[in-house]
Amino acid sequence: MSTPLHTLATQVVPPADHEVVTQFEQVILIVLVFVIMFGLGAGLTPRDFTSALRRPWGLIIAWLTQFGIMPLLAFLLVLGLILQLPSEVAAPLALGALLMGAVPAGTTSNIFTYFSKGNLGLSVMMTTNSTLWALLMTPLMLYLYGTRFMPAGLDLQIPIANIIITLVVMLVPVALAMVIRRYYPNVGAVMELMGGFFGLFFIVFLVVTWVPRNWVLLSGTSWQVYAVTICLGLFGIAVAYGIARAIKMHPKDARTVGLETGIQNGPLAIAIILLSFPASPQLGLLLLVPALYSLFIVIVATFVTLYFRRANLAEEQKIPSLL
Amino acid sequence: MSAAPWHRYYPDGTSPEIDELAARHVPELLGASAAEDPAAVAFTQCMPNGMNGSLRYSEVERLSDQFAVYLREVVGLVAGDRVAVQLPNCLSYPVVAFGILKAGCVLVNTNPLYTASEMTHQFSDSGARALVIIDMFADRLPKALASTGIETVVTVRISEFFPAVVAGIIRATQRYWSRSLPPVSVAHTPLRDALEAGRERIDEGAAGPAAYLEGVGPDTLAVLQYTGGTTGVSKGAMLSHGNLVANTAQMLAMCGTHLRRGEETVLTALPLYHVFAFTVNLIGFYHMRGRNILVPSPRPPSNLKRAFENYRITWLTGVNTLFNALLNERWFLDYPPRSLRASAAGGMALHQPVAERWREVTGTPIVEGYGLTETSPVLTFNPLGGTVKDGTIGIPVPSTTVRCIDDAGNVLPAGEPGELVARGPQIMQGYWQRADETEHALVDGWLHTGDIGEMDDDGYFRIVDRKKDMVLVSGFNVYPNEVEECIAAMPTVREAGVIGVPDPKTGEAVRAYVVADDPAPSPDEIVAHCRESLAAYKVPRSIEFRDELPKSPIGKILRKELRTDPGPATTSTNDPGSEEASPR
Repeated sequence: MSTPLHTLATQVVPPADHEVVTQFEQVILIVLVFVIMFGLGAGLTPRDFTSALRRPWGLIIAWLTQFGIMPLLAFLLVLGLILQLPSEVAAPLALGALLMGAVPAGTTSNIFTYFSKGNLGLSVMMTTNSTLWALLMTPLMLYLYGTRFMPAGLDLQIPIANIIITLVVMLVPVALAMVIRRYYPNVGAVMELMGGFFGLFFIVFLVVTWVPRNWVLLSGTSWQVYAVTICLGLFGIAVAYGIARAIKMHPKDARTVGLETGIQNGPLAIAIILLSFPASPQLGLLLLVPALYSLFIVIVATFVTLYFRRANLAEEQKIPSLL
Repeated sequence: MSAAPWHRYYPDGTSPEIDELAARHVPELLGASAAEDPAAVAFTQCMPNGMNGSLRYSEVERLSDQFAVYLREVVGLVAGDRVAVQLPNCLSYPVVAFGILKAGCVLVNTNPLYTASEMTHQFSDSGARALVIIDMFADRLPKALASTGIETVVTVRISEFFPAVVAGIIRATQRYWSRSLPPVSVAHTPLRDALEAGRERIDEGAAGPAAYLEGVGPDTLAVLQYTGGTTGVSKGAMLSHGNLVANTAQMLAMCGTHLRRGEETVLTALPLYHVFAFTVNLIGFYHMRGRNILVPSPRPPSNLKRAFENYRITWLTGVNTLFNALLNERWFLDYPPRSLRASAAGGMALHQPVAERWREVTGTPIVEGYGLTETSPVLTFNPLGGTVKDGTIGIPVPSTTVRCIDDAGNVLPAGEPGELVARGPQIMQGYWQRADETEHALVDGWLHTGDIGEMDDDGYFRIVDRKKDMVLVSGFNVYPNEVEECIAAMPTVREAGVIGVPDPKTGEAVRAYVVADDPAPSPDEIVAHCRESLAAYKVPRSIEFRDELPKSPIGKILRKELRTDPGPATTSTNDPGSEEASPR
């Protein structure tokens, strides 16, 4: 067991700190998300938001699953899988995994919600809500579950700039697009369609560019790490969706809560690590789970979306297309 | 008691008799409105994602003139020729329909969801010489046209008259994404080419509608509206220009001050090929210089969301199914349209809880009316702003008499149920080329509706039962005979009986009782078989297998007995488990 893990530690560290997600890639992603949200926002009206506010239950449930279930799920996965590994690699991997569980929802969740025919208004509000709460809850959850993995004297940095970028990239284009849609429904509808196309391109782009470039990293990683990164997103979506359905939330909202909960803000987790552990020799291991998670969540969410769409279509198509 | 106790319940200012016809024919009625404010928007087509196109009154007039000239000068049709139209709600519908009437031809409204065999029957029975069809369904043409007299086919795009970029995107989406544009293998002319050809003839000095309409008057046939009537044989009700002009005035008289000239925006979610939307929304609101928001498909009901968001809807016409569906939509409940003034329901019984809930949610009146294809269609309505009695179909519209009669033809007093018979200027001329059926339905100028009703002391009518076995699915007639024949055509099916059962969504749903030999087909196979030859709303919602069916001494299946013992709905195959209906 120790040999492959050893190679993992030595092989991976050098490229990981600057190439897991490059600066250029981050900028591209931000621009793309901005453009996509501009398109998807054109499908929203102020009523979609006030409608969600009328049922704060949805937002409360999402908050609970976001900061109650995801960190706990990450913790259980660490206990069950990561701790099987030798302690020198387990501690940084665990910290990365716990951080991944404690960060708020990512903007990608809006895109998948859109394709799942979920409630986009609710999704945007949930992302905003959990991102703001993250300033308090992310460190709190990390200390709650992760103190024993932390190096002494750690000063955990939550990058405000990153939080702001997340919100700006999401809310500004949405607001702009809503104004355009209000006055030019045709332009709005075209933008929404384009946003959808960009969204598809975005998902393919992430997978296609990331996998080959990080092939070495992927091939040297142990199965436990794969299991953690995949299960965190998949179980997160499944558990939150199950809860939302069990308390009889509208299926549209339940899909939204599921995706919002399971899809975490990967780039934010990476930024937190880069800021908080600038000189750590274990930077590569710290980044491994967030980086792999960011890749696999796209794949997991794609399959979940396909499932949601099929279920959704099956339910809607049974009625003859007449009155 | 007077024979017409309802007269005192008309809205203020409404006379019990409508004045002389407002116009000699439908185009004259329409043209007068267009001349008042040519720049006003007459029609807006709103797609589910908010993409839209509009036509002004002046454009509708100009384009329908072009189409009329095309039909007469290029195609070579003559006055009285039938032209079948098979379109969903779209901007082309008014252009084509008005064009046909302006050409002095007869419009044959056809359900776009008809299968090839249903199309063949309607086209050959009406003797249609030309067909205007939406391109999405043109793949049925080679099979459907085989034994008909149709020589000219005009195809229409759903995005016709939209801004170019938007039209292009819709077209590309249809072609490459949803793949809903089948190749058209019969000779055809795109609508835009037809209009262009018409325009050229006008420029060259062709006679035009004024000449085509010279011989057209109130008694000239305008529309063949197909219906099964009371007997189930599909036949064309002959509606004249006078029928339609009169019924428009009659309907408007019941709206009082709720329908203001030049200020209303009506949401047209009902299909225009259905007589209710045709007369009330298309002709009625155009005549009142309103704006029609056309929605091509109201299913799922979320398709209506953009229309409600983007336009100040003041009027809504619909069937119970539509109102009920909207009341189950969260976006509608959260933000019921504030601009709404009134709603009118027809086509099927408006359920009392739905009516009450609608008033509660929207804060506006909803009234129920009654009519038949044979009556253009409005016979009775609850007066808007007057006394509305839920659960009744209201009072006869002006110039209309409705009575209840017993089997011997005696007029019954108030409170006694009998067959409803009606007389008025909106009653059809008869059934197209079916003297026997006409004789059956029209006796001494009275139309026998086949519905059993009763009148209260105020002159309000209530439907008690239907004489016929017809099933009414969301306002669409389903004749058990047709469905039974279809199922019985399966090799191992011995016989089938079809009835309607109450359905919370569609009012009634089709249920089939099947006696089959081994190996019996599965319910899914039966449904699949029916889908091949029947329009979707006719396909059974539930199927139950029986060892035998109740029969009369001469072997006729007793549907009445099936209705009294419908059995459990265990083998429901086609259940509409829409997620919108789930609790929230």
